[in-house]
Amino acid sequence: MRVAVGDDAVILREGLSRLLQEAGFEVVGVAADADELLDLVERSEPDVAIVDIRMPPTHTDEGLRAAKAIREAHPAIGILVLSQHVHARYAIELLSSGTDGVGYLLKERVADLDELSASVRRVGQGGSVLDPAVVSQLVGRRRQADNPLQHLTDREREVLALMAEGRSNKAIAERLFVSEHTVEKHIKNIFCTLRLPHTPDDHRRVLAVVTYLDSE
Amino acid sequence: MRARLFLLVAAAIGAGAGATWLAANAKAARPTEPGPYLTLWVGVSLIGSGLASWRARPDNRLGPAMVLSGFLWFAGLLSEATSAPLYTIGVALEYAFIAGFIYIVVSFPSGRVRGTLDRSLVVAGVVGALGLQVVAMLFGRGSGLRCGGSCGDNLIQAFHDNGLALALLDLQRVIGAILTMTAVALLTIRWLRASRPQRRELTWVMLAGNLGLLALAFTVIDDILGNPLNATPAKIFFFTLALLPIAIMATFVRRRLARGSVAGLVVQLGGPTEPADLRAALATTLGDPSLDLAYWFPPEARYVTGEGRPVEVPDADSNRRSTFVERDGTPIAMLLHDPALEHNSGLVQSVCAAAGLALENERLQAELRARLVELNASRGRLVEATDAERRRIERNLHDGTQQRLVSIAMSLGLLESKLSPGHGDAAPIVREARTALTLALEELRELTQGIHPTLLVERGLPVALEELCRRAGLPAHLTVDLDVRLPDQVETAAYYFASEAISNAVKHSHGNEIRVNVSYDGRMLTVDIVDDGIGGAAVGPGSGLRGLADRVEALGGQFTVSSPPGRGTRLTAQIPCA
Repeated sequence: MRVAVGDDAVILREGLSRLLQEAGFEVVGVAADADELLDLVERSEPDVAIVDIRMPPTHTDEGLRAAKAIREAHPAIGILVLSQHVHARYAIELLSSGTDGVGYLLKERVADLDELSASVRRVGQGGSVLDPAVVSQLVGRRRQADNPLQHLTDREREVLALMAEGRSNKAIAERLFVSEHTVEKHIKNIFCTLRLPHTPDDHRRVLAVVTYLDSE
Repeated sequence: MRARLFLLVAAAIGAGAGATWLAANAKAARPTEPGPYLTLWVGVSLIGSGLASWRARPDNRLGPAMVLSGFLWFAGLLSEATSAPLYTIGVALEYAFIAGFIYIVVSFPSGRVRGTLDRSLVVAGVVGALGLQVVAMLFGRGSGLRCGGSCGDNLIQAFHDNGLALALLDLQRVIGAILTMTAVALLTIRWLRASRPQRRELTWVMLAGNLGLLALAFTVIDDILGNPLNATPAKIFFFTLALLPIAIMATFVRRRLARGSVAGLVVQLGGPTEPADLRAALATTLGDPSLDLAYWFPPEARYVTGEGRPVEVPDADSNRRSTFVERDGTPIAMLLHDPALEHNSGLVQSVCAAAGLALENERLQAELRARLVELNASRGRLVEATDAERRRIERNLHDGTQQRLVSIAMSLGLLESKLSPGHGDAAPIVREARTALTLALEELRELTQGIHPTLLVERGLPVALEELCRRAGLPAHLTVDLDVRLPDQVETAAYYFASEAISNAVKHSHGNEIRVNVSYDGRMLTVDIVDDGIGGAAVGPGSGLRGLADRVEALGGQFTVSSPPGRGTRLTAQIPCA
């Protein structure tokens, strides 16, 4: 898989490149800001672009805007946005333009080589990735008595969180040491309890879940 | 002074009696003669009103000008005299009073002639009424100059050219017609452009002046056409001529009466007054509703409003004037008023003297308020400096420490993957280090978000509060009625207020949930944080709530706590968004 990296901090983009190469990815180039990244993507058409959310010139959400631009121009290129902050809002903004091939991760997650390569691969294959910290914020806030999440079992809530992170049924089953069949049963229950439209597509349901969690 | 007055009155009585006698015994009996009654009426009006105005306003030239015009009026009647010198003087000065009339009309109320147009009118008046008359007299004899032959000799006739003399007199009439119409237009425009207090002064003089000028214009035109109107316009002109000095005198005397109301002002200011009362009282006494007061603020050597805000001294060419009030040589206050009051500086001075003490009191209060304004500004600057510093620290942590820690985590990740199975006991140590590093990064993240919420700057208050509620340790419900970006310092204050209030509720309320309500009515941002806990919160020194209060109050906002024991706590901040 071919990957482009955009980050204004030299040590981070070099470190990330090394990790990616170590994990078996081909790094097609690195960029120090959004414009450079867009150029790089235009020139080398990678499978995945990894982009720091905060880059020059304003150091606010350039990465997010670059991600949106890349998605519009090249819908096939997967995008993984990295942030040093847990901003559920940005994750939702990113996902709201479509969950196919997008991801939002905290920067330090990439230090785990397995986590990094799984996430890049998932995004590259059109899946989605949402940082567990963001998901737990979304799930964690709904604890009041009249909350439908109250009616879910602990196991169902675990499954819901993993779904929101963008994991497939198979990955959830492996993570929870249960069979895929059991996971499917849990998911059916969750969708039923929360009155969500059921979709067999692993990817599309992320948006349904996240949108549900974000709404009051 | 008194002697001069007696002299003038005696001279006026003499001149009046003589002129009236001449008018009554006029042999020519031409239709445009004023006759004895109008002669007396006009002269007495001019000289009497002139003397009264002179007394009321010794520094104004209008009084003397009216007196002079009155004497010129009487002198014109000498043209009925049979004695050659008197006749010559009389004919020369026959229309001189019209020049005086034009001067009076144009120069009211200051008594000064300003501007090219005004000056041209006065010069044209003198040239037309006096100059051309004298020049015509050099060429024509008595008969050429309206006398039926029974009058005295023209002593300054040098040539015999009656045709030229008559032509000059025709020119005189044309100039007169143009001059009077121009003056009417000028007076009308001046009145239309005047401010309200100015108009009150101008109206009667404008009406009387215009009436007189129009009647004069008709007289001249009637004269050019050979008197088809049978001298009626002339009679009207003579009659209204007398109204102008009366109108002027009335205006001047009314000012004196206004000065009498200063006594009322003194009584009024004897009681306790509010700043607005003082302004209103002065405005009433001075007859200028637009009057404003500004007070001297020594620390900055400038004037400030009663609320302590800086005031500029108006430029000389602006449409406001300033009068400065001093006590014992130190400035106290400045009156900002309509230019109309400039012509009545006597009244303004009396009012300032009467209101001196009240103004000094008011000045002290204004000084206090100005210091408060200054204090608030410096508090605002402190908060701003704090925010800038927080931004800087957050940025440094983000670009420095956080990145370095992430890069170490990456190196550890790399190291972990490179460990061959032979180094089996090293792997758990590396993982341990990575876990510790992740925790450190988490703590650092919390810290930087607390120092400076980047989301607030990037996405605004509602989004930042939404995130805050998501992270809260208790279920927090947010309702926001705000769809515009507010000034940075307002958003920041509201955010920190909500942040601190929420963490207070989480730590101390023992409640189950928090409600955060934000609303904005176009002027005021209200942030309301309510919990259902045990209540009993207080704003003590050193408490987090005190810091909140400081931040909100630095922006001129209000901070209220309602925390009855057992019934939850409500913290409310109201921040004005100027």
